[in-house]
Amino acid sequence: MSEISATPEIKNVRDFVRFFIRELKPRGKIFTPFNVITAPIMLLGLVLIVYRFAAGLGAVTNLSQEIPWGLWIGFDVITGVAFAGGGYVVAFMVYIIGGEKYHSIARAAILSAFLAYVFYAGGIILDVGRWWNIVNPMIGREFGVNAVMFLVAWHFFLYMVAAGLEFSPAAAEWLGMKRLRKILASLTLGAVIFGIALSTLHQSGLGALMSMAKGKIHPLWYTEFIPVLFFISSVFAGLSVVIFKEMICHKVFKEQIDEEHRKSFPDIIVSLGKICAVVMFGYFFLKVMMFVHDRNWPYLNTPMGYWYLTEIIGLVLIPCFMFVHGAQTRNLPLILTASTFTMIGIIMNRLNYVFIAYNWQIPVFEKYYPTWMEFVITLTIISVELWVYRWCVNRMAVFRKPPEWAIEKH
Amino acid sequence: MEGVFTFYDIFATKGIEYLIIIAFLIIIIAFWKFVNMRPY
Repeated sequence: MSEISATPEIKNVRDFVRFFIRELKPRGKIFTPFNVITAPIMLLGLVLIVYRFAAGLGAVTNLSQEIPWGLWIGFDVITGVAFAGGGYVVAFMVYIIGGEKYHSIARAAILSAFLAYVFYAGGIILDVGRWWNIVNPMIGREFGVNAVMFLVAWHFFLYMVAAGLEFSPAAAEWLGMKRLRKILASLTLGAVIFGIALSTLHQSGLGALMSMAKGKIHPLWYTEFIPVLFFISSVFAGLSVVIFKEMICHKVFKEQIDEEHRKSFPDIIVSLGKICAVVMFGYFFLKVMMFVHDRNWPYLNTPMGYWYLTEIIGLVLIPCFMFVHGAQTRNLPLILTASTFTMIGIIMNRLNYVFIAYNWQIPVFEKYYPTWMEFVITLTIISVELWVYRWCVNRMAVFRKPPEWAIEKH
Repeated sequence: MEGVFTFYDIFATKGIEYLIIIAFLIIIIAFWKFVNMRPY
């Protein structure tokens, strides 16, 4: 199926509600391996989320006053935002520098980024002790303009709006709203520019947040250039996620992908692999530069030093050359493997900043280890995001071509 | 900066950082060519 299914014209709210309820019904097989694995996780996770709000953070996490950040901030929020970087990078390549080749993956990348922000950044609510105060920076009860978190909160919120606007023409097509689609499409370029500006700021803003913990982060990871490193790493982290998701979606949603996209797909993946390789190479040099600048030689021959080398060589330099070799030989499985290693490297890097290399002087047995409930809630957030992503892909023109009336003639 | 500054210390003068940047700018060109090279 290459054309989106025809939708009835929606004239009023009642039509919309009817249509939406009809669309909520599942499509396709219910007992798939993905559903069978994720459904029980989500059910258990939802129970645990209710328990977390009823009994507080201490009941479900190993966090304390001394160790305030754990798996949720480290993985869901900080890693999730880096992974969402693919949205602004692909939007930049398509809408700003005119990379038409990548047009067929733009909507998928933007949808992925939008949902990542909604779910992963939304995961902050779970991690804030007094979660009802989370709206304060927005409503001005206590803006907290001196806090980096004020900056991060507004950036997250505004980027969600920008990414939502970038994707909104697809939603208007799904609803069959021609006039609305025209208005939203005219806003896309503005939203893209706004979104890119916000992304550069808040990816580095998260790094700035880390740079405030100078005495707590291990010297091998601490540098005054953390914001720069966070921003650059978000480029290849985001693109790796785009490669990973595209390769999987290309198989899962193959009946929605038209012949033209199918033919150009290997070229797109190879090009993305090349971009990842070059950016990772630059990032590696920057890391070397920081290392030399801070004269961190004495720390290298220590357990944390080996951990650092694992991250820098094993999960940056080696995947970088895997991307190179994969691009040279047009070996897509190798590029997929490289993107997987890169994603693991980013997860490790962000978790290092948040709790592994954080408070590094304290004994191992006093360190923070996530509880099983933290893992289940994290898996729940990921699963719900994937379910919503699949729901959107099955109904909107994400991989398939938009309806005839929506295709812009130049 | 800690310690005594001397014009002979490549670290104190940040000479090493300039060298790394110059090396990077040279290597990135070769690297880009390498990335786009077809295997034999």
